[in-house]
Amino acid sequence: MEKINIEEKILSKNIKKADALRELFKEKGVFVLNLVSSPGSGKTSILESTLTGLKDKYNIGVIEGDLQTDNDAKRIRKLGIKAHQINTGGACHLEASGIEKSLEQFDLDNMDLLIIENVGNLVCPSSFDLGEDCKVVVISTTEGDDKPAKYPSMIRVSSALIINKTDLLEHVDFNTEECIKYAKGIQPDLKIFQTSCKTGEGIKHWSSWLAEAIESKRKS
Amino acid sequence: MHEASIAQNVLDIAINTATENSAIKINKVCLKIGQLTAIEENSLKFAFDALKEDTMAANAELLIEHIPIVGKCNNCGKKDTYSEMFFSCSNCGSYKMEILSGEELSIKEIEVD
Ligand SMILES: Nc1nc2c(ncn2[C@@H]2O[C@H](COP(=O)(O)OP(=O)(O)O)[C@@H](O)[C@H]2O)c(=O)[nH]1
Ligand SMILES: [Mg+2]
Ligand SMILES: [Zn+2]
Ligand SMILES: [Zn+2]
Repeated sequence: MEKINIEEKILSKNIKKADALRELFKEKGVFVLNLVSSPGSGKTSILESTLTGLKDKYNIGVIEGDLQTDNDAKRIRKLGIKAHQINTGGACHLEASGIEKSLEQFDLDNMDLLIIENVGNLVCPSSFDLGEDCKVVVISTTEGDDKPAKYPSMIRVSSALIINKTDLLEHVDFNTEECIKYAKGIQPDLKIFQTSCKTGEGIKHWSSWLAEAIESKRKS
Repeated sequence: MHEASIAQNVLDIAINTATENSAIKINKVCLKIGQLTAIEENSLKFAFDALKEDTMAANAELLIEHIPIVGKCNNCGKKDTYSEMFFSCSNCGSYKMEILSGEELSIKEIEVD
């Protein structure tokens, strides 16, 4: 019997791949966003509302991750934006190797923004770096204001929180202040946006944050 | 179930290391898992046991060392252990906490023949 010391990160393979992707995105001047939420919080709807306003100014690509179907990619393509669907089968998250493979479908030399809509899940995607610049987490007002307290690991790795479906606030018991307080307790630097894809409230504010991020990453 | 993916990575690293060291059989695999990682131990063990079949780790036992969350306050300097992620300094209440441990997700060592 022999002991062999290893001391290696379990996900080192994914970390290495993600680091290589991040290097590539930097070289090409592409801002990359990893969008996460529970199923149905409104990730695709937010993209529909936001990208319509950005597509004339920027070259955009979208990678859609879902267990099954290419419905979301179809929704994005309807806007005239290039979208590639990854079906994970059973897996609850995307991994860097899947992103690397999808990039064959895109022309990074002519791209300013790449959005990765992750599989609807608030646990697993937090452990898998995809080489993104930042993670943005969406929580909708129908899910309960204690979502950040229940899924702290996702809040901790996110740069921004979008509270979506604000048009439904009057019908649900959702205390926006409480939700923000919890989230900021876990991640004090978290940027907060409040949006409704129904009324368009807050979409402008969120879009201009995104546009600023694209500009600062863009190759001059 | 990202535990399946994590178990596969553990198994790959263990088998590669064992092979490089000319071992024929893996008896134990020891992990360090911080409390800040969203890993469910039972799911991980279940996935590991399913994946190890027909490999040199078929009889390997998975041992998990849980690493507590230790935070240091950037306001008053107090170092303390915390039981959950939503934490402010136990001394001054500040949220400006630096995480010293609890994020570990690593394979520490293996025991082989
Ligand atoms: N009332 C309301 N419904 C919304 C809003 N955003 C999305 N939805 C609805 O929520 C459902 C799920 O949205 P979708 O964008 O597919 O969520 P995803 O699974 O996170 O991509 C759809 O029926 C949308 O029409 C919103 O701001 N207000
Ligand atoms: Mg969607
Ligand atoms: Zn999972
Ligand atoms: Zn303090």
